Amino acid sequence: MTADHGESPAGTAGAGTADPTLDAKVAEADVPPEILAQSLGQYMRASWLRIRSGNSGVLPVVLAIVIVAIVFEVITPEHAFLRPSNLVYIFGLSTVYMILAIAETVVLLLAEVDLSVGAVALIGGSIAFKLVQQPGPNWPWWAAVLASLACCAGIGALQGALTALLRIPSFVVTLGGFLLFSGILIVILGGADSTVSLNTAVPNQNVIYDMVQGLITPVIGWVILAVVVVAVGASQWRRSTARRRRGLVAPPLGLTAIRIALVAIVGAAVVIICSVNRGSSLKTVEGIPWVIPIVLVVLGAWTLALQRTRFGRYIYAIGGNQEAARRAGVSLPKIRIWAFALCSATAALGGILLGSFFYGEYSTNTADPGQLVLYTVAAAVIGGVSLFGGRGKAIHGVLGGLLIGGIAYGVSLLNLGSLSTPLQYILPGGVLLVAVLIDAQSRRGAGA
Amino acid sequence: MTADPGETPAGTGVGTADLTLDAKVATAEVPPELLAQSLGQYMRASWLRVRGGNAGVLPVLLAIAVVAIGFQIANSKFLGAQNLVNLFEQSTIYMLLAIAEIFALLLGEIDLSVGLVMGLSSVVVAELVQPAGANWPWWAAIIAALVASSAFGAIQGTLVARLKMPSFIVTLGGLLILEGVAIIVLGGSLVGIGNGGFINEVYLYNIFWGTFSPVAGWILLVVLVGAAGTGLWLRDARKRHRGLEAAPRSLTAMKIVLMAVAGIAVVAICNVNRAHAGTIEGVPFIIPIVLAVLVASTALLQRTRFGRYVYAIGGNPEAARRAGVRLPVVRTWGFILSGLISGIAGVLFASWQVSLTTNIIKAANSYVLLAVAAAVIGGTSLFGGRGKTIHGVLGGLVIGGIYNGLYLLGVSSQWIDVVVAGVLLAAAVIDVLSRRGAPGRT
Repeated sequence: MTADHGESPAGTAGAGTADPTLDAKVAEADVPPEILAQSLGQYMRASWLRIRSGNSGVLPVVLAIVIVAIVFEVITPEHAFLRPSNLVYIFGLSTVYMILAIAETVVLLLAEVDLSVGAVALIGGSIAFKLVQQPGPNWPWWAAVLASLACCAGIGALQGALTALLRIPSFVVTLGGFLLFSGILIVILGGADSTVSLNTAVPNQNVIYDMVQGLITPVIGWVILAVVVVAVGASQWRRSTARRRRGLVAPPLGLTAIRIALVAIVGAAVVIICSVNRGSSLKTVEGIPWVIPIVLVVLGAWTLALQRTRFGRYIYAIGGNQEAARRAGVSLPKIRIWAFALCSATAALGGILLGSFFYGEYSTNTADPGQLVLYTVAAAVIGGVSLFGGRGKAIHGVLGGLLIGGIAYGVSLLNLGSLSTPLQYILPGGVLLVAVLIDAQSRRGAGA
Repeated sequence: MTADPGETPAGTGVGTADLTLDAKVATAEVPPELLAQSLGQYMRASWLRVRGGNAGVLPVLLAIAVVAIGFQIANSKFLGAQNLVNLFEQSTIYMLLAIAEIFALLLGEIDLSVGLVMGLSSVVVAELVQPAGANWPWWAAIIAALVASSAFGAIQGTLVARLKMPSFIVTLGGLLILEGVAIIVLGGSLVGIGNGGFINEVYLYNIFWGTFSPVAGWILLVVLVGAAGTGLWLRDARKRHRGLEAAPRSLTAMKIVLMAVAGIAVVAICNVNRAHAGTIEGVPFIIPIVLAVLVASTALLQRTRFGRYVYAIGGNPEAARRAGVRLPVVRTWGFILSGLISGIAGVLFASWQVSLTTNIIKAANSYVLLAVAAAVIGGTSLFGGRGKTIHGVLGGLVIGGIYNGLYLLGVSSQWIDVVVAGVLLAAAVIDVLSRRGAPGRT
């Protein structure tokens, strides 16, 4: 399981002797463990030290999801929480929080905040729904989606420009944006009581309806899974061998293998769960909802953008220390405006999926923009994104959103009657406070 | 009009020191009355301060004037007695929540929970007076609601101040928890205080909807203006007597006259019969209530050691700490006061709404963003250390005025949000630009 010593870069001595210093270095310098570790064992030790030093990454939120799943499975009547039908529903319910939390993460990384994501998402959704109406614009679905994303990107760029160029605090700009777009939303919908709904008999409109409601048959699901695993595996493998060949530091081979296996196992679990018939005896409902690959694509795209591009590096640089980033030649206004624009475009997608989740109906009662943004920020922070910039990843938003959705649905399964609604507020609030408390304490313990 | 040179402190000759004095005032941000010796000098010094980016309440007063004139032109009922009282009623909650928010903002923190602290307080007070339920006397119910609100503020303040958790997150979690707690206290159903047969409900109802008789209004005005005027005059006289720097006598007189004129205008407007049929006249109780909260909070912030510490922490926490200020204590008290004032708003909210439902409690949340907006429009900084509670009252009046005016014009509610957003952004832009123009600041 140890890496090939012949290919390790010079300067990092053999695994046995350098251990203590290496561990200390990793813990202190916040360096990803794979950069210094030479073997899987070393990697594990380094990761553990990082966690102990308050840099725990996704671990707390994953633990929280496991705990929530176990607790609800035990206490729900008939132990229904982990039934495939419920798991699939929870994913659909959480989608909007996941996507919005990814969007919010981008802005939070800059040490800014966007309070308008909820309103912008609802605007994005209602624009797309309006544009495909048949007596009406009747645009093709892809054009409607693109137009919605573009509109919201424009909104985001505008807010970003006010923040970046005039240096008005983003809190105020997006607070104004929240009020403004909550009003405009009702105008777009055509009045406080109007509803815009999709006609599933029209194929063009049905595509948008199917984004959350539509299913991929189990067979195609397995095929897609195989393609994804092979693609991820090949790219991981190629990258690490390419790095080794060029004499760069690379993760140990064992780790790469474990990662690929993990992707395959999680993927297989998802496909198996989704392939169970969750309909009634009259109607078969099985297969993977389209929304799962959609969320994965968004997650993958944002992970790539943040971790592998210059734009992403600049975002982390500005969030970490904007003055240092400026002196290093980063154009702060440009990056900030782009970040706000892309955040709003991502939010628009979340809004379209939200309407699709509500069976293709959009009205002013679909969601409260203020509530949406509060849950979104909560999801990002519970996932592990820092409010003070520079710390967080797209995956944190997804996991935080899943936790919030899971709690909300779990509570509703409990048949608590009048206690059900209040608990859907109290539990996320409590989880949020505990998450931040742990974060604050662990960082204090690290002496940072 | 010039002050008695015999009593001015040495070193500031009136004639010669003019130019340097003005420059000093503008750069040092000293209140003009501390250095000015005559009314003319005071005016010039104030103008320089405004130009120096320290505009205080001037922009929001201008905004109020624009709102008043604009809507009056569009609808001649806007400045009618009936509508002005209406407008104040609509602004009350914004004003009180903005004052609550300002306690957090001055410390450089934020309190997102004010809307739902108000919600909780309103549900508590309404539930406790129910004859079929707890059946408490109305004053005991109010005290209980205020204690609950302050206690919640204390918990949030402790988490922020002692455990160093960001206030944004603490109060975000707090509002989610409160939303649940308020709905539990409400019991999932409707609770009302509109039953005229129960004396405690009547008292609660009258807190918002009750009025003084016209005669009582005039008496109250005379007492208030008399007391405030005497206090102001005696304070300035005492300062002059001790050789301290004080406002010129003419200025003190002008302040008192202004107070009396404003008071007379308010009482005169409120005493017009504003009912379509029958008689509704007199000063609503909420005017003295808001005034009392404003005066008490202003006195606390401007005249006590606690207030100075709040500004010190907001300006530079590290400097305040090194000067011996106990940050956790002051911060916790800031949040307690924010909770308390939100609780007062809650009592008024219950009285205003008459009956409370789950949906109204949920809607209480939307007040928090408008409260922040009111504070910022009024001229309070989001970054701590700059602002007064009067800003909350004036900002609340702007928002209430916009809501009222547009509603009067038959504009639907979504456009009202749009206009409020525009005003908020304009206030932020003015704030940023005026600070940019100021010397020695960025």
